[in-house]
Amino acid sequence: MDSALQPQDIGGPGTPPIVLLRGIAKYFPGVIANADVDLEVRRGEIHALLGENGAGKSTLMNILTGIYQPDAGEIIIDGYAATFASPVAAIAAGIGMVHQHFKLVQAFTVAENVHLGWSETPRRASASQLEARTRALAERFNLDVRPDARVSDLSAGEQQRVEILRVLARQARVLILDEPTAVLTPAEARELFKALREFRARGNAVIFISHKLDEVLEISDRISILRGGRKVSTEDTAECSHRMLATLMVGREIVLGNYRNRATQAQAPRASALSLAGVSALDDNGRPALREVDLDVRAGEILGIAGVAGNGQRELSQVLTGLRPITGGQVLVDGKVVRSLDPTTFAGLGIGHIPEDRLRSGIAPSLSITDNAVLREYEDAPVSHGPLYRPRAAVGLARTIAGAAGVAVPDFGMPIRNLSGGNQQRLVARREMRIARKLLVAAYPSRGLDVGAINTMLRYFVELRDAAVAVVLISEELDELLNLSDRIAVIYEGRIMGTFNTEDADMETIGLLMGGQRQATHAPLHMTS
Amino acid sequence: MTWRFQRFPSAPAGAALASRIAAIVLALAVGGVVLAFTGVNPIPLAGEVVRSTFGSGFGLEDLGLLMTPLMLTGLAVAVTLRIGIWNIGADGQFYMGALCAAAVGLFVKGPEPLMLVAMAVAGLAGGALWILVPTLARAYADVNELITTLLLNFVATLIVYYVATGPWHERGVMTLGSTPRIRYQLPEFFGSVHYGFLLAILAAVVMAAVLAFTKWGYEVRFSGANPQAARFAGIPVRRRIIVAMLVSGAIAGAAGMLEVAGTVHRLQGGISNNFGYLGIMVAVLARGSCLGVIATAALMAIILNSGIILQTRGINTNTVLAITGLILFFTAIGDEFAHYRLVTTDGKGK
Repeated sequence: MDSALQPQDIGGPGTPPIVLLRGIAKYFPGVIANADVDLEVRRGEIHALLGENGAGKSTLMNILTGIYQPDAGEIIIDGYAATFASPVAAIAAGIGMVHQHFKLVQAFTVAENVHLGWSETPRRASASQLEARTRALAERFNLDVRPDARVSDLSAGEQQRVEILRVLARQARVLILDEPTAVLTPAEARELFKALREFRARGNAVIFISHKLDEVLEISDRISILRGGRKVSTEDTAECSHRMLATLMVGREIVLGNYRNRATQAQAPRASALSLAGVSALDDNGRPALREVDLDVRAGEILGIAGVAGNGQRELSQVLTGLRPITGGQVLVDGKVVRSLDPTTFAGLGIGHIPEDRLRSGIAPSLSITDNAVLREYEDAPVSHGPLYRPRAAVGLARTIAGAAGVAVPDFGMPIRNLSGGNQQRLVARREMRIARKLLVAAYPSRGLDVGAINTMLRYFVELRDAAVAVVLISEELDELLNLSDRIAVIYEGRIMGTFNTEDADMETIGLLMGGQRQATHAPLHMTS
Repeated sequence: MTWRFQRFPSAPAGAALASRIAAIVLALAVGGVVLAFTGVNPIPLAGEVVRSTFGSGFGLEDLGLLMTPLMLTGLAVAVTLRIGIWNIGADGQFYMGALCAAAVGLFVKGPEPLMLVAMAVAGLAGGALWILVPTLARAYADVNELITTLLLNFVATLIVYYVATGPWHERGVMTLGSTPRIRYQLPEFFGSVHYGFLLAILAAVVMAAVLAFTKWGYEVRFSGANPQAARFAGIPVRRRIIVAMLVSGAIAGAAGMLEVAGTVHRLQGGISNNFGYLGIMVAVLARGSCLGVIATAALMAIILNSGIILQTRGINTNTVLAITGLILFFTAIGDEFAHYRLVTTDGKGK
């Protein structure tokens, strides 16, 4: 009656894999989310899906669970081809997903959420009946939940258990977890891993999406690495190391010139442009994101920030541009403490910002190219005279910025979202460069761009550096950092693990630090600050 | 090669216009079918409506009188739409503008031009005051303005009913719920159409110019389109929201004042005629464009006027409200469809 309680049928040779994806592709306007992805998930394994943000992990799983339809390729379940028109069809085939952002009804109790939209929910059921059923399910799957609690009162870890119970109650044989530990405390994460191992022991499969090397190595049996929407490789976890995964994940295929050589007239790094002294900050959920960060950026240098996404880079870039309040420490510009940490002050000090989430913080997608291009200078002549805004002068400035960015714009009045991601990024970069007299903070500037656009972007930074402006480049692309930065700082869980002169650094050491391994066993490092 | 519909993030203006025209045609068709079921032949009726609206001076005067408040309430809603806020309370602000203007007109004596200015100031202030609490709640506590502005409509309606039937009720007159006639009135320039009509058009033009040609307008636009990016650029989003909402309330209040001083010459219960709610439709049909509001207010006035004519034929005026509702409904659907375009996909994808 219940496949979850069947005797273990961990497939021997000849048993078809529980999930087989073949040649999956998914395109969105202007974006290749997945291309040519093959993936095999076997019974009784925890299969990790590793990749940086935007590598296509979530899209692939949304295809497997029927949220998206693939543009090409096939889904094969237990050896039979399947199409899932909706998540309901996927769960009927035993494939359930716990999303990164939970899909629970906040105002409902745990029991109500578990029974919502479930064919086995009794037609007429009192609250106490639903709670009793939920309690029985929770015991069967050994998940600690309170059936009568309201979801809005639960911690993230508890909500996640409710989501998992919801999926397991529907007899899922494949449980997909999207970044499950992102919202958990270490203790909650250990509990989760225990539950996943029990689930695996019953002959089921788990697909575990993550970009954290440590936990992937701890929990998984095999690891598939996605990069740029394509699968790079599938490896047995036993044969993987931090170093190897870091290399596979950040990739090597983009070959860039060495930009570190300066033109003769450009000067070497000089005085400190901006520095952080023991700065701490919280993330959006009020948890510590930066812990006593010391960082010094000098005029005329490019400082690279290496690290796996989600280790405080976002908060760091926001602190550096005055968008996020700090809870401790000091921010110094030109050696003087900045008291009012707000975006206007920082812009006034000559600090520009290429944000990582371009669509949310960098532009207003529905407004015209002109409106977006002049955002940083609309208050100044020639765009404004006193209170008056002059649309014609604004178009002129937009034309200048688009010209510098090399973006051909047919109509400056059309919404900026009609431009490709690369062109949007170039416009934002040029707009920010114009005000960045002192410092430009660029967070993942090459994310989602093709090689050509990336090269253009990197050349912009060199141009700024040679003009004695400081550049902070936050990136997951180690090649990019090594080729461009004068110094590299590695960030892990909100701490700066070390800062190197780029000549002295090697990819492997940085990869290890990115994975949280503070002590490299070989090659002594030359710390500079 | 297969064909399929794909959703695009932006809808071209042409498609949006087409969807509005289609919505109006469909709504009229549905209304016609329903009328036919009740035993009325809709086609001669439609002819009669067109003739009596456009074929006579009275019809055109009525249109002008209806358009005046509709332009202003539509403008009030359109202004807040620019900053991403829904002012559902234009009806309440209309009532309070009317109440304050009537109070000045009834109880203060002075030379007419001066008094009209005083009434206008009172009307603007009344409307702004009525949106003040929702504004502060929205700006400082992030309270959803949809609910607060909507609920205050009922409060304003009841206050005006109370005043018009109680303390300010005209003694010895049988008409229920009306104050005495206010002696100061706006001059008229076309039959009974007063200068308020021109003032409303002027307001729309000025507002459009302010939004297009001032720094403030740019900041409002940007704050509405993406508050996070606006904050990132250092735009004081909260202050822009406060001013935009107060201006919106004041414009709706001005509509109430003009209705009192130009058209009705009294304060009556029910004086708003749902103009505040219809303003939402006017603004939505105009896609939040201030100049577009002039055209959509004209359309709405034609529909309302048709309702009055239908009423003389014994047809319930609610038919017209239903038709306006249908137009909004079809427009909302059409706006969604306008995002879709037919695209080809090749099956290989490699």
